[in-house]
Amino acid sequence: MELFEFYRKDRWPHVFCPGCGIGTVMNCFYRAFNELELPLDKTAFIGGIGCSSRIPLYINSDALHTTHGRAIAFATGLRLAKPELKTVVFTGDGDLGAIGGNHFINGCRRNVDMTVICINNNIYGMTGGQASITTPHDYQSTTTPYGNKEYPFDLAEIAVAAGANYVARWTTRHVHELTRSLKAALQKKGFAFVEVVSQCPTNFGRRNKMADPTQMLEWFRQSSVRRDKTKAAEVDHVDLNLAGQITIGEFVDRNRECYEELIGVGKHG
Amino acid sequence: MKPVIDLKLCKACNICVYICPKKCYSKGADLSEIGYFAAVVSAAEKCYNHNRDGKMICELCVLSCPDQAISWHPETEEEKRK
Repeated sequence: MELFEFYRKDRWPHVFCPGCGIGTVMNCFYRAFNELELPLDKTAFIGGIGCSSRIPLYINSDALHTTHGRAIAFATGLRLAKPELKTVVFTGDGDLGAIGGNHFINGCRRNVDMTVICINNNIYGMTGGQASITTPHDYQSTTTPYGNKEYPFDLAEIAVAAGANYVARWTTRHVHELTRSLKAALQKKGFAFVEVVSQCPTNFGRRNKMADPTQMLEWFRQSSVRRDKTKAAEVDHVDLNLAGQITIGEFVDRNRECYEELIGVGKHG
Repeated sequence: MKPVIDLKLCKACNICVYICPKKCYSKGADLSEIGYFAAVVSAAEKCYNHNRDGKMICELCVLSCPDQAISWHPETEEEKRK
């Protein structure tokens, strides 16, 4: 499949700002999807509200554009009503963690078979740069002009604790690893969660002396630490402070029973 | 295979200039049709994939380009001889 058979060419160039990391994730997702040779007409793409949730509208397949934060709730319903469809959820950090935080935790707990790709750009980018739950400590945004005094959520660790089957975190600087991880997530049965720390030069970088997207990529490269290496180090605990360290890697890969098996969706059709 | 930048898609974020390990790209000086100073392929012969007959090795620029502007095209016979 060519790139523009997978994506709608007539919609290009897309609306994302120059240097936005969402396009990188789109490339990696296309590559993973193409290498696995999955059928496009048997896959449903679901997005909530936000920049990253616009990705399903660019894919040449069925898309469900849902209310803010409820992408996982809609995907659960779709998956149970049409078990032959594969569901992929594209969502952002505000959509998934702040407004839909409870849906996210309960989606992991229920372990419905779906792939959730969260593009974490550390800010509410579409609405003008308000501080979100993942804005790092002491970083500036529109609503925190003296620096954000709160500590951010660690979405991947929450997914591990809530019981997802596959959890990984990468940044947009690690494109080959991200592609490999997306392939594993698409093949996984159960709730697969991939968090991608992405750059937002327009609203996050501009207020934090990183207006150039390449400066943000350099920040990712310098501050990211592989999880398998932190485990061996003295500090086993993952640092919540994104300003100091971004822990990347595969967090968990397990085979818990998924919700469809437990309630027997296949039997009832 | 050599990289080619689609001038109708490039938004001049210069991520390719930063990410290429062989420095094949450089910042552009000419205004493109959609109003950006699009990056240019200044040294395609330095690319890892040059003269490798379709074998992909690095691909950092293709995967990283947020605007899907970079794609691979086969070289002409003249470029292959270089």
